Amino acid sequence: MKARTFITGIGMITPVGTGVHEIAAFIRTGNKEIRPLRLFPSQTILPTGEICLPFPDDDIPRTHRLAIIAARDALKSSRGAVDAIVMGTSTGGMSLTEVLLKDNETDPQKYQYHAAGSVAEYIAGQTACNGPVITISTACSSGTAALAIALELIRSGRAKKVLAVAADALCRFTYFGFHSLQLIDPDGARPFDQDRKGMTVAEGAAALLLESSENIPENACAEILGAGLSCDAYHPTAPHPEGKGAYHAMRRAIEDAALSPSDIDYINLHGTGTRDNDLSEATAVNRMFGNKKPFLSSIKGAMGHPLAAAGVIEVAVSAICIRDGRIPANTGCTRPDPKLALMPVMKPMKHPVKTVLSNSFGFGGNNASVVIGPADENNNSASPAPKDSLKVIGCECLTGAGRTDATLSRFLNGKSCKGIFPMAALSENLPPKLVRRLKRLPRMALSLASSLQKNTDSFCPPSSIFWGTGWGALSETYDFLSKLFESGGQFCSPTDFIGSVHNAAAGQVAMLFQSKGANITTTGGDYSFEQALLSADLLHPAGPDESVLVMGADEHHEKLSHLFDDSVSRVPEHSDGGGALLLKRADAAGGLTISSRFYERADQHPDIIPALIKGLGGPERIDRRFGAVLVGIPAAHRKIGEDQLREFLSRTGFNLPVIDYRQYSGEYASASATAAVFGIRLLQSGRIPAPLAGENDILLQGKGILLIGTGTFVTAIELLPS
Amino acid sequence: MENLLHELKGKVIETLNLIDVTPDDFQVDAQLVGGDLGIDSIDVLELVMMIEKDYGVVIDNKELGEKVFRSLRTLADFIHQNRSKS
Repeated sequence: MKARTFITGIGMITPVGTGVHEIAAFIRTGNKEIRPLRLFPSQTILPTGEICLPFPDDDIPRTHRLAIIAARDALKSSRGAVDAIVMGTSTGGMSLTEVLLKDNETDPQKYQYHAAGSVAEYIAGQTACNGPVITISTACSSGTAALAIALELIRSGRAKKVLAVAADALCRFTYFGFHSLQLIDPDGARPFDQDRKGMTVAEGAAALLLESSENIPENACAEILGAGLSCDAYHPTAPHPEGKGAYHAMRRAIEDAALSPSDIDYINLHGTGTRDNDLSEATAVNRMFGNKKPFLSSIKGAMGHPLAAAGVIEVAVSAICIRDGRIPANTGCTRPDPKLALMPVMKPMKHPVKTVLSNSFGFGGNNASVVIGPADENNNSASPAPKDSLKVIGCECLTGAGRTDATLSRFLNGKSCKGIFPMAALSENLPPKLVRRLKRLPRMALSLASSLQKNTDSFCPPSSIFWGTGWGALSETYDFLSKLFESGGQFCSPTDFIGSVHNAAAGQVAMLFQSKGANITTTGGDYSFEQALLSADLLHPAGPDESVLVMGADEHHEKLSHLFDDSVSRVPEHSDGGGALLLKRADAAGGLTISSRFYERADQHPDIIPALIKGLGGPERIDRRFGAVLVGIPAAHRKIGEDQLREFLSRTGFNLPVIDYRQYSGEYASASATAAVFGIRLLQSGRIPAPLAGENDILLQGKGILLIGTGTFVTAIELLPS
Repeated sequence: MENLLHELKGKVIETLNLIDVTPDDFQVDAQLVGGDLGIDSIDVLELVMMIEKDYGVVIDNKELGEKVFRSLRTLADFIHQNRSKS
């Protein structure tokens, strides 16, 4: 029997209702809850999907507050903590950060909830979850992409009980950002209407408790049957005009569920109401379903577009539709656009629904679809094939010392690679036309990718991209907010807005390589690269044919880095950089493999180091397999990190070289991506040179290297000769 | 009008960071968007902001934008006409 993934708890807070009961009522009526902006002052008052929260914002940002309401609601009937949390969000703590920055607040403590990754960490703290906490930030497809990862965590057996959450709060950043793109319909979103003029920015959160079970649990309300991801690799924001990426995401989700298009009873469309999205999605639906289209509707004309939260909210709505035998109306559309050749459900319907396809698409050409079905049916999908480890095909890094060779020649001689590589030098391998609109972080990503292409023997373009960044595009974020504040929201830069999303750089790399598979951006402070590698291992297909690019980078920003990243504020010398690995499934011996072996939250987890040692197979295996440890101890967690390392060494008796890599890389969130390249190069050379090892060179003698992360999480990545 | 055209060339280059373009590269009647200069829909939105900020002229919908941004000359004409109205 194979493990199936059931939805056993639903929590929601949206402009059309809070909790399953209110949402079921909304599905019956299709009421529109879009009203003029009230949350903050603006010269231009546009309609929004705003939620009335009982208390004013104080120290905890709105996204966190929405997310915890949904999470608690989903967990209310569940006993014990979940094994893992997978979160989708794009705004993180922005609703508070933008106010603090406007007021010139300089206390880093006030920004502790800025990070997109802090929302899931907050939920983990509140619900005592120790397991992996992963945050996906792929703009408006984040929630659905998070569900795809949660599904694979369960299928792979890494977790039995996962909370999939998505949340985004209304804030100046998104309100004025979408306005600057002229994407807001002044009359409220009218998806698929012939007169539609754009979307309505909204907010909300939803959480689904997913449980692995061979049998149908008593409290199961639906089953997740499959998920599909794709990337357009076409444009930073506009969807592919023929909906090619959308088509592939839908097709992959249906195939993953072992179903055919005719099995789908209802599609919950992305349907934002913009001219381009609705045209692209309609084209893809027509290609996929032809004249046999299922019932179709978008609920964004009723509640607006809650951005990253949309996907999980819509899957939750779809689960209620299956339970109640109802189909929600495509509120807002009065005259369906004949050019779209698609007739949405105009009024709420009572009709049995078994299988639902739910779509979400986002900036960066990111597409995600999920298929769900009733909990009481047989599931014909095959057990997932076991996946081989990921093998390293090529790797590059970037540090203050420069590119890979310059960096390695200093690192291997025990010299610092700290500092900031100048922009002009960074851009040397990039065509000026390609990067004229790009600031530091996307240039770092593209520069790493270009180096990889140039320097890797038998380079094959990756089909999928996994990108980790702790803080995202700080230059674009700062510049966007500066213009917003200067002009009272009147003159914001659309280019900066587009570039500010965490996944913008991954979208650029996808366009460079025409990578049309999964395109995932993870973010979680010092563990963002670890999340990217774990996600790649979960989602990259089992076959040996396709390669995958796993990257991590963070930029240093003069004004923001020290406010957001406490490790940066604690050291005199500023640094930035990252690393990129081209990987393939290992189909034969030779070379070296990389795998994410351990990833748990250290707060409230007194036995984290014993758990790490157990996760690595015990002291005997650690001694037998590893010839050196590269350890990351973020400056902000120096004391706790050193204690964790000391405990690890004393419990395992490990007495080979331990290299504290941030002493060489400097402090930035994705320093572990750089360290992975350090580790690969050390392993390839077969020795730890004396300047790093102590008195003499130490030969690795066929042993691997262990990359450990310490601090608020403890992580382990294994680099092993295969 | 010639002054405005000249001024616009400089502002377009600066706003869009067209680092390898000089004012002499602009053909005032050539297709502005999707032409040789590599200007696309995001650039148009960036120019919309610049024109509203620097000239007080609002271009707030796609249909109007398509007409106005046909060439540098149509853009200059539109700014000239609407600026003098106010």
